[in-house]
Amino acid sequence: MKTPELSACHELEALLPAYVERSLPAAEADRVAAHLATCPGCQLQVTQLRALTDDLDAALPEAPRTALRANFMAMLEEQKALLNPELPVAAAPVQPEAKVVSMWPTAIANNWMRIAASIVLIAAGVFLGRQLPWGSRNADTFATTSGQPESTELRQALAGRSTSASDRIQLVSNSGKESEPGDPTVQVLLNTLNFDASPNVRLAACEALYRLREDPRVREGLVNSLAIQTDPNVQITLIDMVVSMRVRRAVPQLERLSKRADALPVVRAQAEAGIGKLI
Amino acid sequence: MTTTSTSDEELMAAVKADDLDQLVPLFERYHGPLFNYLTRLTNDRDTSEDLTQTVFERILKYRSSYQPTQPFKAWVYQMARNVHADYWQRKEKLRAADVEEVEKTGGLRGAAFSQMRISSHHDDLHEALALLPTPQREILVLNRFQGFGYEEIGQLLGCTAEAARVKAHRALQALRKIYFAN
Repeated sequence: MKTPELSACHELEALLPAYVERSLPAAEADRVAAHLATCPGCQLQVTQLRALTDDLDAALPEAPRTALRANFMAMLEEQKALLNPELPVAAAPVQPEAKVVSMWPTAIANNWMRIAASIVLIAAGVFLGRQLPWGSRNADTFATTSGQPESTELRQALAGRSTSASDRIQLVSNSGKESEPGDPTVQVLLNTLNFDASPNVRLAACEALYRLREDPRVREGLVNSLAIQTDPNVQITLIDMVVSMRVRRAVPQLERLSKRADALPVVRAQAEAGIGKLI
Repeated sequence: MTTTSTSDEELMAAVKADDLDQLVPLFERYHGPLFNYLTRLTNDRDTSEDLTQTVFERILKYRSSYQPTQPFKAWVYQMARNVHADYWQRKEKLRAADVEEVEKTGGLRGAAFSQMRISSHHDDLHEALALLPTPQREILVLNRFQGFGYEEIGQLLGCTAEAARVKAHRALQALRKIYFAN
């Protein structure tokens, strides 16, 4: 006989998860229910187990980046090429009748290859923009000056048609290293984010703005920018930023984005996940 | 789970017969769940993407060993477990050599977003899960996030369904204690 209550609780503890998921045989379930009626400690456990189960059920799945699919498609194409060494790999000229045309997977692979290549280029661009001192004539003139004139020069430099995208990335990346509230750099960076022709420059502007996130205009500007960006990399970066900065005002924009027919599925999924995190 | 009528096993049988394009629908069905499973085990999204890719590489590499009578799901998760185990063995070495490189070339979002490599969904729950010992976390992830029944978990972990159930319940109690601590 289990007289002391503690040992009864201890014994029942192992049964409580099954009790909560209603998988106990009726006799045991009755025994647990009878004990629960008299034991606030075990009642609390049951309440917690139910809450935990609900939270586990509500947990959103993690979504991989599009790069995973791109890498997979690239790997698959490689393996297919290995399997059929007589088939053309790339440049080898072949007679049309010997060519195996695998219609849609190849088309997808090409698209994903393009996306993969663009990601590599962006990463390389940002990396070079940050790491290498070349292009130092522009950098000396515009980016290394400090304080108020910096933003004016930055704006002029960014507006200059002759400035290449990589120079603009460097300018943007170098901006906002140290700044105080009210810094006009923020406005210049927001303009760059919204209107620069190159997604890579826009991404660099995202990064620079993230460093200036204390400025209230950044939060506002990011939310507004969500509505107008069409490049998936920029869209995803913006979503990540508003989520990480917990900008609740972004929820309506995220909702719109999650329903936009022209957005990539991964962007819509990311927007949806973002809403889940913000509300 | 599927939008076409072709079963996982039929698709994998075709892959085994060197029709590699049939791996594409399997990738579509499984890469999300596998990525999730691996992310919960490693707490690291970047690593999990690499490991998910490795799982699909191994599927191709070892396709001839696939028996069409065995459920594809069990086979592929067994492979994912092995990939994860291999990762753990390499982890210490990798850590020393790669962290710096990843930081430097980590790309678009840079260090500002490094905290986001680990999920920011349901933070408390995720943190509590991360504090569980890996075997307990794995069993909960399989049961709660991957839709594995106790029978399937038992097969994967090499124990009976009843033992899997008991382990899952213990893990849930352990998680409860962490989650509601303080």
